[in-house]
Amino acid sequence: MALLEINGLTQRFSGLQALTNFSFSLEERELVGLIGPNGAGKTTAFNVVSGFYVPTEGTIVFDGTPIMGLRPHQVAGLGIARTFQNIRLWNDMPVLDNIRIAQSHWLGYGFWGAVWRSARYRNSEAAVEKKSREVIEMMGLNDVADELPKNLPYGLQRRVELARALSTSPKLLLLDEPAAGLNSADVDGLIKHIRWIHDSFPIAIWMIEHQMKVVMALCRRLCVIDFGRSIADGLPAEVQANPDVIKAYLGDDTL
Amino acid sequence: MQRYTINIIFLAAAVSLVAAAAAGLFDNYILTVLMFMGINIIFASSLNLVNGHMGEFSCGHAGFMCVGAYVGSLLSVVFFTSNKFFGDPLFPPEAAPFLFPLVLILASLAAALFGLIVALPSFHTRDDYLAIITIAANYIIISIVENIDAIGGPRGFSGMKRTMNVMGDVIHLPWMLIWVLIGCFVCITVLYRLVTSTYGKGIPAVCQNEVAAEIMGVNTNKVKIMAFMVSSGLAGMAGVLYAHVYGYVNAQAFNILKSTEGLVMVYLGGMGSISGVILAAVAFTLLVEALRFVIPAANDLLHIWGILPASSELSQIWKWVIIPLILILLMQLRPEGLLGNKELTHVFPRLRRWVSFK
Ligand SMILES: Nc1ncnc2c1ncn2[C@@H]1O[C@H](COP(=O)(O)OP(=O)(O)OP(=O)(O)O)[C@@H](O)[C@H]1O
Ligand SMILES: [Mg+2]
Repeated sequence: MALLEINGLTQRFSGLQALTNFSFSLEERELVGLIGPNGAGKTTAFNVVSGFYVPTEGTIVFDGTPIMGLRPHQVAGLGIARTFQNIRLWNDMPVLDNIRIAQSHWLGYGFWGAVWRSARYRNSEAAVEKKSREVIEMMGLNDVADELPKNLPYGLQRRVELARALSTSPKLLLLDEPAAGLNSADVDGLIKHIRWIHDSFPIAIWMIEHQMKVVMALCRRLCVIDFGRSIADGLPAEVQANPDVIKAYLGDDTL
Repeated sequence: MQRYTINIIFLAAAVSLVAAAAAGLFDNYILTVLMFMGINIIFASSLNLVNGHMGEFSCGHAGFMCVGAYVGSLLSVVFFTSNKFFGDPLFPPEAAPFLFPLVLILASLAAALFGLIVALPSFHTRDDYLAIITIAANYIIISIVENIDAIGGPRGFSGMKRTMNVMGDVIHLPWMLIWVLIGCFVCITVLYRLVTSTYGKGIPAVCQNEVAAEIMGVNTNKVKIMAFMVSSGLAGMAGVLYAHVYGYVNAQAFNILKSTEGLVMVYLGGMGSISGVILAAVAFTLLVEALRFVIPAANDLLHIWGILPASSELSQIWKWVIIPLILILLMQLRPEGLLGNKELTHVFPRLRRWVSFK
């Protein structure tokens, strides 16, 4: 069974239908791209999967569990992590804390544990510390662990956000335009990072990206969305030759 | 060793204060000022959890203090004194010094429950709109209290003073000072431990990016409930202490002006800085007391110099001109407060050799 199964998803905002009967499925360990013109509904699809919107119609099953109607933190707890099109870090807390807080769903202690500093609290904090340090090390963020994200260059902020998502050990990673705003050296680094993540962990990645260089380097399958409808799904070469896709992108020189 | 420095310093200071008070080194006035300083520390630092760490703008904090003050006073009367409603005390009076913490805990829990008035709307409401709800909560609580005649209504409530006397009869110690010191210690420990835990860091995460917090696995509704309840619970504790130090409570003592005092202390100290707000609470208490002497002195001087005609007087009302003026200057010159969102140990890194909060 597929890791993620989206069926007949429709998302209506007052008057505007951002997704129409959108279906998609993703196998474990797959790396799939989601492309489409501006305003096609890509981010909306991610927001619905994250639990940020409750879909108007349709079903989403993740790892055997229907997740429509779950709160986002519950969805995160099931193993879906994501990054955002406009970076959303906790800017006034050090990078290390940004990673730590993302461990909230498995802490195992609450207010009284924190105040009493129970054995459970101490074990849990030690595990969080270890995990966070590992991720920081792995993503090459050692030098900036104590910096505030807002003081970091844009490329590093993107990497911190990727590290934060990865630190939750997700089964599915949603990346919303990870290369947006990066210079070409950073883009090359990002491609390497994503490939390495995909090779090293049992993880599936679903990625929205406008830069064809990134998409072509990483994805073996592409899903194309236009006006909220899925118009093509298949190998990159097939998709590029698809007349509907060419029409959707007409006048758009990204493809 | 470092991790205990603060506790040891606090314990030493507390013991010497109590000893000095027991030996009669302080007159009543100084003792009262000291206790109000402690109460202000609890009141302001609990407000800081919501306004500083969580970034919401609560302007009705005194309402929760009111709940604590009344519930605490009632419990203390029922527990330790004989009265015409409940008859004999529930517990033998000799137990008062040992059971007073029970009053503190129960009244704090009651105040924490009232915190839900603000916590539940905060799921869907933020910023200005939530601020309005906090003001409403303040008014609701005061109105409820003023309309219950059994607890004195607008006339206020007294009787808990007898509890203090009962305690003093058992063992002769400055009991209220002791409870205020313990209250401060508990309050700061709870707040410090909370905001340094990964769980508690969910609070600033909600402030700095709520969407990211929720999507990255922080149960933001739970965090908000927790923060509002802890904050109002601690304010309730400040209320119990306030009522017993005064020996009399009146709902109007906890109106929006009192809430504003809390805001002044938080913004003076620096939002989100525990040590900053403690310093601010101390400074603010001293300032208010100093004005008691400065205003009459200024009045005399102005008369002597002939600037003020003999027919007019500078009254204590000027306190409410001077304090807001300080706030205006502060916002102009140092909007981030004394310490900003930093702790003393960040501003003076050398302190770290000696102390580390744990
Ligand atoms: N919360 C919302 N309320 C109303 N309309 C929305 C909302 N979120 C998205 N939309 C609309 O839905 C449509 C799809 O938006 P979406 O952000 O999903 O596009 P996208 O494919 O991610 O585009 P881009 O490439 O520019 O990021 C847009 O027309 C957008 O204005
Ligand atoms: Mg988008």
